[in-house]
Amino acid sequence: MNRNTLLQSAGKLISKQKALIAVLLMLILMLFTQTNFYTPFNIVDMLNSSSILLILAFGVTMTVISGGCDLSIGGVLVVSGIIAIRLINDLNMNIGLAILISLIFGAGVGFINGFLVVQQKTEPFIITLGMGMTLTGLAQQLTNARPVTCDNEAFTMISNGKIIPGVNNLVVIMLVILVIAHYVMRYTQFGRSMYAIGGDYEVARYSGINVVFVKWATFVICGMLAALAGVLLSSKLNSGSSIYGETTALIVNCAVVVGGVSFAGGVGGIPQAALGLLVFGVLQNAMNMLNVQSFAQILTQGLVIVAIIWLDSYSRKVKRERV
Amino acid sequence: MNMKVDIKKFTTSIFRDYLVLVAILALILVTMVVEPRFMSTQNMTNIFRQFGPLSLVSLGMTFVIIGGFIDLSVAGIFSLVCVVTVSLIDPIGQVPAMIVGLLVGIVCGLLNSFLLLSSGALTQAEALFITFGMSMITGAFALFITGGMVLNFSDLAGNFALFTAIGSGTVGLFPISLIIFSVALVILHFFQSKTIMGRTICLTGGNKTAARLTGLSVNGSIMMIYALSGFLTALGAINQFSRTTTASPTMGKGFETNAILAVVVGGTTLKGGKGSVLRTLMGTMLIILMSNCLNLLGVSSFMQNVTKGAILVIAIWLDNRKPL
Repeated sequence: MNRNTLLQSAGKLISKQKALIAVLLMLILMLFTQTNFYTPFNIVDMLNSSSILLILAFGVTMTVISGGCDLSIGGVLVVSGIIAIRLINDLNMNIGLAILISLIFGAGVGFINGFLVVQQKTEPFIITLGMGMTLTGLAQQLTNARPVTCDNEAFTMISNGKIIPGVNNLVVIMLVILVIAHYVMRYTQFGRSMYAIGGDYEVARYSGINVVFVKWATFVICGMLAALAGVLLSSKLNSGSSIYGETTALIVNCAVVVGGVSFAGGVGGIPQAALGLLVFGVLQNAMNMLNVQSFAQILTQGLVIVAIIWLDSYSRKVKRERV
Repeated sequence: MNMKVDIKKFTTSIFRDYLVLVAILALILVTMVVEPRFMSTQNMTNIFRQFGPLSLVSLGMTFVIIGGFIDLSVAGIFSLVCVVTVSLIDPIGQVPAMIVGLLVGIVCGLLNSFLLLSSGALTQAEALFITFGMSMITGAFALFITGGMVLNFSDLAGNFALFTAIGSGTVGLFPISLIIFSVALVILHFFQSKTIMGRTICLTGGNKTAARLTGLSVNGSIMMIYALSGFLTALGAINQFSRTTTASPTMGKGFETNAILAVVVGGTTLKGGKGSVLRTLMGTMLIILMSNCLNLLGVSSFMQNVTKGAILVIAIWLDNRKPL
């Protein structure tokens, strides 16, 4: 009896903290290998390379928690980076203004997504998938499917500069957004409304929450964060290309769910999403350190996605049957 | 009498999709006026020839969507089948290689359904992520088999006449790939409207609980859906590499979204339970004609992607506004 309850609580812990356990497991395994994994440089590098996806994930988390989802982020990511670079190159525009226009573009896409999903009540994932396709085509048209580079050196310093010695600005920006997003989700009325809407749309509406506004706003924020991520990515690589965002949208949405944000809405949070993304970040870094071939890397990522999503829905099935 | 009713049913089901039909007719008319080359025999054969890979994959996707699920693993399975079949032509001969290719498709599809059923994943979102993971896994195997290289027919020592026939052979004016597609379409239409399994799939998409309580085999229909999708993907893959005479491990990229596009534009609702392969025929026809017309009019392939995405968004929007 006692042993049974112990097993049960262990099972519950595993099913709740899958992502944390996966990350810890990888970190422990890397202790036994002879690599440069545990060097300050590598740890910063790991954060640096996951930062773009993390910023995307924060926006996606908000839409997912309020019961939507956004697969157009890959398209927004590439187009906004290209827009910023083209504006700086072709029109000699001030960098700040160019970034602002990119952000407005992202917000505009989010606004259209929100209109179609919230106001017109369409299926979010397919409509945003179509939006992503359109934007990827637009990115190809804008660049002729060739990468474009920025002439202005200062643009690359946005991501690669180091305000804090040893740490790229990109990581700092990511951490600032993490804190703000977490604060908004946890401690403001707006954030709590998102949870309410994701939990039960109708109940939230009858409770006096302006459901249309809040859910619509999550799409606008998500689009804007995706545009910001796109600008930072172009700044980091000093190039904008239509191929960067190919699988980004699905990976990020997957990672958010892997971290413990329920796709049904209403459950999860920013830290969980960050953890889910770190699973992939740490995994990739560790495999690079161990010289794993690229096909094996893709295979492992696929297996991790299938295993964790499988566990997620299995635990929900068990819960359903208990009720 | 019976015949008459069937024809009436057929016409009403077409007229329910009058939007797509009007779009197709308008497209043909405009292009005919602007570009007379559109009606040439050469262009017609060209259009017929394109009823190959994408249309077959979309037929499979139709059943998945009618059943209320989604299948992104199509991209990975497509690449895997291409690579496996071409690399097996030399060791075991062309016919066994083709059979193995089709079996790979079916097995991958069954694996999808096994993962979904064993975890009790019944929503579209869960299916989306699990099949996306499967797409990565199968794609990784495709990369592993070729080592990232592209396989060419010209490097093969064995006989591959069968594949050449599928890729570029014709019977009269009609390419063999069009004939394969037509046969598949007729069989699947019969399967969907006249067999118990076909009706079960529709009911599964409409209301799973009701289907289960009626005593229908919901699990069986889910397995059928994914096996069918895998099989038709494999058939589409064989069509594709037969035509291009090369097989690369990333060949299937984009097929999943394009197939969903074709199905949804045709008028099959994503909510599940409603739709038919005839609608998908219409959707693929629109997409093929559109890309042909845009090519003739000299629109860049990038702008074609933009129009495709925009049409998908608008089609879903309009579909959503229709009263159910």
